[in-house]
Amino acid sequence: MTHAYRPGKASLRSGIALSAVLLALTAPTGALAQDTQTPTAQTQTPAETAPAPLAAGETHGTRAAAEAAAHLAAGGEDEPVVLQAPAPDARRVYVNDPAHFAAITQQYIVDGNTARVVGMVDAGFLPNPVVASDGSFFGHVSSVWSRIARGERTDYVEVFDPVTHEPTADIELPNTPRFLVGTYPWMSALTPNNKTLLFYQFSPTPAVGVVDLAGKRFDRMIEVPDCYHIFPSSDQTFYMHCRDGSLLKVTRGEGGEPQTQNTEVFHREDEYLINHPAYSPKNGRLVWPTYTGKIFQADLGGENATFREPIEAFTEEEKQAGWAPGGWQQVAYHRDSNRIFLLADQRPQWTHKTPSRFVLVIDAETGQRIARYDLGRNIDSIAVSQDAEPQLYALSTVERTLFIHDAATGEETSSVDQLGHGPQVITTADM
Amino acid sequence: MRTLVSATLCLTLLSAPAFAADSIQVITDGNAAAGGATVEIAKMKFATPEVTVKAGEAVTWTNTEALPHNVHFKTGPGLTEEHEGPMLRSKQTYTVQFNEPGTYEYICTPHPFMKGKVVVE
Repeated sequence: MTHAYRPGKASLRSGIALSAVLLALTAPTGALAQDTQTPTAQTQTPAETAPAPLAAGETHGTRAAAEAAAHLAAGGEDEPVVLQAPAPDARRVYVNDPAHFAAITQQYIVDGNTARVVGMVDAGFLPNPVVASDGSFFGHVSSVWSRIARGERTDYVEVFDPVTHEPTADIELPNTPRFLVGTYPWMSALTPNNKTLLFYQFSPTPAVGVVDLAGKRFDRMIEVPDCYHIFPSSDQTFYMHCRDGSLLKVTRGEGGEPQTQNTEVFHREDEYLINHPAYSPKNGRLVWPTYTGKIFQADLGGENATFREPIEAFTEEEKQAGWAPGGWQQVAYHRDSNRIFLLADQRPQWTHKTPSRFVLVIDAETGQRIARYDLGRNIDSIAVSQDAEPQLYALSTVERTLFIHDAATGEETSSVDQLGHGPQVITTADM
Repeated sequence: MRTLVSATLCLTLLSAPAFAADSIQVITDGNAAAGGATVEIAKMKFATPEVTVKAGEAVTWTNTEALPHNVHFKTGPGLTEEHEGPMLRSKQTYTVQFNEPGTYEYICTPHPFMKGKVVVE
């Protein structure tokens, strides 16, 4: 037997691995004396087959306890190892906890199939998470200080392996350019080929940072007009939303001066577009609700942006009765079914960041409402997996719990609790 | 950290009429030279984003709206350190005298999309 494991953070990223470490530390010294052939970690390969679904009344804990008891009864010994996550699929869910502006934050990696946390990674202040479109890596743009929350600031990009959760790249960003803001998913983005990460700088001047992930180096800053968010439409182009109500198309080009072009103004000055639009990099669909539930849509995948006829999520009567979107990630878009999911509730004006109890399902083509799900609790953020039978993810910041629903019926199927201090952001990959 | 440095500069500006560089100096006693220019701040804009003055003349900014704004000079030719003016509330003014020819670009600190420049001949 071997008790070889690498002490350190990697061992602490999974509750199971931590338990194994503790078991190893409390093992009789005689057992430890029989140790070790190899100084490196022994790892378990990702599960080839998915575990059987839990039976009625069975929990992950009771199943693990039964398996451990059977193992013990059969004379089996414990062999602590550093675990690996199953290979990611469309239901790999990344839940980011900005922790109410704490200097140190965490990201929980959840397998939506089994509703289990399969790993965690640490980050600094208000990181911006990204996930590769093919699931091959995930990462974040993050900030740390030399004395926790003061001293010298370092901004950096970190990339992780989705199975081992080991960092595979650590790229420093010069002159601390990150925009420190409540986590808006599209303030950082990957190009479709997953080779470039783009991030937003607010001060001292609006700009977009270009990070070459393939070459593991910071490339350059592109100065832009007063426009916000980043929606890559190809490997060399991305769109932004500008103060004047237009979109800006930025064509990076190879090393040359970037070319910019504004679309027409597509919304009025008194139509307030939320900070958390939904965007599908696979088909270029941008779905952008307002405070009142008017939903603007643009297709960015062609040569130029084309705007669709806006949708009204609510009737005039419903608006009079106080219906409006609200929460953090208030909208999700499922590409295959062309459906919009909108988090909404009855609320007074100017309470647009309070959670909602309902999700509207809307046909993005016709604007018709397909369903309204009563989630039965206050939810701050929603997302959907992009597989054929999608899961609807509903995250409660106060309950610190991810509730997993069947997107077709709204029925809750499972949940994952104890997700940090104030989890707010759900990220999935359209694999 | 940039913000700490900026805050310190802010305090310095409020108490000291001159910068170390002296290519620009804040006028706090109202004794600006004749001539110069004025810039109104309204609707999230510097109303005249480019003004031209002669060396030795001053520019006075007046915030005309409730939202606070300031004048924050970036480094550039003739200016080796950033200079961040205090936040101006409604009807407050800020006067800077320009002693050296050059182009001085500035922004509003919390609204970096507000940009302006002073050309000194």
